[in-house]
Amino acid sequence: MSEDIRVGVYICHCGINIAGVIDVKSVVEYVKTLPNVIVARDYLFMCSAPGQELIKKDIKEYNLNRVVVAACSPAMHEPTFRGVVEEAGLNPYLFEMANIREHCSWVHSDNKIKATEKAKDIVRRAVAKVRHLEPLDKITSEVAKSVLVVGGGVAGLNAALDLAERGFKVYLVEKSYTLGGYASRIGYLDKNIRGIELVRNLINRISKNPSIQVYTGSEVTDVEGSVGNFTVRIVKHPRFVNEACNLCGECVNVCPVEVPNEYEFNLVKRKAIYIPYKDAYPNRYVIDPESCNRCGECVKVCKVKAINLDEKEEVIGVNVGAIILATGYRHYEPQKGVLGYGDSKNVITLFQLQRILADDGPTNGELIINGSKPRSIAFISCIGSMNTLPDSASYCSRMCCISSLKDVLKIKERYPDIDIYYIYKDLRTYGRFEDLYWNSLDKAVKFLRYNDTPKVKVGKDGLEVQLFETTIQEYLAIPVDLVVLVNGMKPPEDIKDIKAVFKVSTGPDGFVKEAHLKLRPVEALTDGIYLAGAVTGPKSIIESMISGSAAASKASGLVSKDYISVEPIIATVNEDICSGCGLCASICPYEAISIKVSDGKRVAEVNKLLCKGCGACAATCPSGAMQQRHYKDIQIIAEVTALAKGVVV
Amino acid sequence: MPKPVMVVGGGIAGIQAALDLGDQGIKVYLVEKSPSIGGRMAQLDKTFPTLDCSSCILTPKMVSVARNPNIELLTYCEIKEIKGKAGDFKVKIIKKPRYIDIDKCTGCGVCTQKCPSKKVPNEFNIGLNNRTAIYIPFPQAVPLKAVIDPDHCLYFKSIREGKKGICRVCERFCTAKAIDFDQKPEEIELNVASIIFATGFTLDDPRKREEYGYGKYANVYTHLEFERMLSSTGPTNGDIVRRSDGKHPKNIAFIQCVCSRDELTNKYCSAICCMSSTKEAILAKEHIPGVKCTVFFMDLRAFGKGYQEFYERAKNEFGIEYIKSRVAKIEEDPDTKNLILTYEDVLSTKLVKREFDMVVLAVGVRPLHPDNFIPIEEDGFAKKKNIFIDPIATPYEGIYAVGMLGGPKDIPDSVTEAGAAAMKASIWAVKKVVEYVGRY
Repeated sequence: MSEDIRVGVYICHCGINIAGVIDVKSVVEYVKTLPNVIVARDYLFMCSAPGQELIKKDIKEYNLNRVVVAACSPAMHEPTFRGVVEEAGLNPYLFEMANIREHCSWVHSDNKIKATEKAKDIVRRAVAKVRHLEPLDKITSEVAKSVLVVGGGVAGLNAALDLAERGFKVYLVEKSYTLGGYASRIGYLDKNIRGIELVRNLINRISKNPSIQVYTGSEVTDVEGSVGNFTVRIVKHPRFVNEACNLCGECVNVCPVEVPNEYEFNLVKRKAIYIPYKDAYPNRYVIDPESCNRCGECVKVCKVKAINLDEKEEVIGVNVGAIILATGYRHYEPQKGVLGYGDSKNVITLFQLQRILADDGPTNGELIINGSKPRSIAFISCIGSMNTLPDSASYCSRMCCISSLKDVLKIKERYPDIDIYYIYKDLRTYGRFEDLYWNSLDKAVKFLRYNDTPKVKVGKDGLEVQLFETTIQEYLAIPVDLVVLVNGMKPPEDIKDIKAVFKVSTGPDGFVKEAHLKLRPVEALTDGIYLAGAVTGPKSIIESMISGSAAASKASGLVSKDYISVEPIIATVNEDICSGCGLCASICPYEAISIKVSDGKRVAEVNKLLCKGCGACAATCPSGAMQQRHYKDIQIIAEVTALAKGVVV
Repeated sequence: MPKPVMVVGGGIAGIQAALDLGDQGIKVYLVEKSPSIGGRMAQLDKTFPTLDCSSCILTPKMVSVARNPNIELLTYCEIKEIKGKAGDFKVKIIKKPRYIDIDKCTGCGVCTQKCPSKKVPNEFNIGLNNRTAIYIPFPQAVPLKAVIDPDHCLYFKSIREGKKGICRVCERFCTAKAIDFDQKPEEIELNVASIIFATGFTLDDPRKREEYGYGKYANVYTHLEFERMLSSTGPTNGDIVRRSDGKHPKNIAFIQCVCSRDELTNKYCSAICCMSSTKEAILAKEHIPGVKCTVFFMDLRAFGKGYQEFYERAKNEFGIEYIKSRVAKIEEDPDTKNLILTYEDVLSTKLVKREFDMVVLAVGVRPLHPDNFIPIEEDGFAKKKNIFIDPIATPYEGIYAVGMLGGPKDIPDSVTEAGAAAMKASIWAVKKVVEYVGRY
């Protein structure tokens, strides 16, 4: 040790919590015999103001450069004493705590003599370590005052609006050619409010807010950098129709190509040039390059010259401090031939029913299937969820019971004479949604429960649902005019790309994993990336909006700072020894380690902002090149030697 | 500088809202009526579906609140009056006397060992054991400071009875000189831009369902009582024993929807009980080897992330029995104090009588609302302006209601709502500042 190490040791009585068991005076006398200890004292409450002053005074008077406090758990007062040391002009990391309360007096109150001996061991350990501690400086980095929101559904829209209203620049990227997401397609959200109204309200506010830059038909293809400073590459796909479009609709009339309309869940067809929905944002036509045959008819009839079939994709680069992923979900699509789906036009999904009930839907809100109004309807729940079908997910999709019962009530309100059978596996109208169940019972909806998935027989005269009803223990065959398959939610199709681009991980259900299921539900494991809406799993529209605001709050917490500073207790690489084997990178849970080439040699590199100092890499490194600051091998060996051999090295 | 925001309620929702605001650089007053923050979550042993130790994940958040320079913690305080409007509320708060100088108290706990008034039902353990008149609410309390309960303190009792003040033992033993018998209620007025109510819930009174015999039969418990028994810091140090004879039960019945989904009490579903009973049944199995656990349910509301999987695990891995049934009544065997359940097993359509050693009632939740400060719906939960436009906003601009106050919900949903409210409140906090700059 080249430095002149001067240690001060302070033993706390903690009232009688410590002093009632441990002979504090004898610990002080013992500590004075340890190497480099210049001063050792005891005091009633080290954490109290006079206790803190005592330490500060000694640091100055005795020119101390290392401090040990033997008191309670470091979880309790380590930050307090680091602050004390810093106020006295020392680096706060030249401090070590010895826990002689939780680890000693509290658990050994039955044996005072041995407890005192153990306290001496614990303090000796701390003195041994503190001699090897090095000063560490806080790591800081500048924060970009803008946020990227990926996904233009209700969660993303809400997050973007909150952040813009709070005063931050927002880039909102949506893959499809309009904002709105699934909510715009849901006929009724409850008795009175329509999905499209909710979306219109949000879009209206977005379009008026100059702080929000919207990119539709766009995808994020690459993200570099880390928390506080991400460089994002956005690819804007060609729309082939520019702002000059006046929505005259001539192009649609002449377009010869017809394809299923995905917005209407394939209930009707659309042309290759189309508008996603009335009042879409941006509100103009778009050409779907997959189905367009480039015949050019639309270009010929367009009086305002808005169409350009040669438009190319555009690449945009933006710099943001935080990212909110609001990439949503995908509805479960039953396979053709299963439960009569695809075999009969009278077997539809819940999502299709919601379009049929929508005023702006294919039947203008009239419940007309195949030209006639059904007299009886069977809803079959848990389609795509709860292992009901071979390709079903094992989880519960959370919103289907609620969403479908809301439609049951809508149908009963408009057509009270229609008989409705609600065939369910388990009825999960959780919380105050239970109202939907009570109201459905009032409206004489017949609830039937199944365990084994029912069958739907498609006959000449109509449909028949066959099931074993578990609560009356009987086989039933119910003829109905319409079957509604209550389909659930799945992770989006491009979840693999989302994982790769944003470096997030997914759970067994395929949805993105949050930092902590219980207490950090809107944060990803990667710092600076936040999660809104159904990206983490099935949610209702209200819940998605709430989580959009919650994710915005976290992003706001980050970008409202000018600098972020992180604990300097992190891993460091000795590049001379590192062989670049990459074991550390593969074990790091925070994606903080990468392998770079330096002077023609592969070596590990630690991202200081992402490293959490867990030490997994240091323990894994076969050569000892990876060291955890503040817990270096030499420091840990000194502690272990002090404990096991009783000597301070 | 942004204007401050007030958060009322120091449970997990209030804690999270305060932390989010503090992190955004906004000054927060966190007002809690009891002597410590932590709320209901502090009373739980573990949390579903991850079986994380509740204290272990909550305590760091509580400590962060105490350390955050932007958060001013006002425990043992109640709201008296709110005036003004969004962006400029004037709130009067009553700081109840703690009879302790919290700057001096070190939380050493010596006073609680010496206090002779030892027979006060311990609220933290739902009265399953006793505390002293001077007490620290629970070992992880924040602030970790003692408080004197004047109703049970011998000194205050003697003064009330017009006698010469006696006892004051705590004062003699307090080496930090923190005891102050002369403290009086204090009124504080604060100016805030926005208010978040997160006042939480309590359980409904299970005595309303007389047929289950709570309060009459010794071995019928509420799930919150059972939770405290499971906890290693609880009244039995984690030992599950019967009130009647102190013996371990060999079989336990968990009854769902007590005062929930019920026309006579609460029509709503309480949203947390299916999973909490599932968790408690699993934990009971871990605490008492060989114990049989049976859950009586109507529908199993395993709707959240990982919940269905947790339910499957409970059935398949832990062998918990689930019976679809609304139990009709419970009778007590007067000799053994065992409980005989009468119910129809829906899936076999048979009427059954079955004996259990212990019954745990999953009692429905009731919101705890701040009287008159926000409008309340018929079912007792906070009224919202428009749940589809601004789902957590009350009809009063700038005032938000989150967590159980707005409707039954689990911890992740409460935490999410808290974050959302912090976001909305932060907009008010900066909005006014911009206007002032423009005006003056």
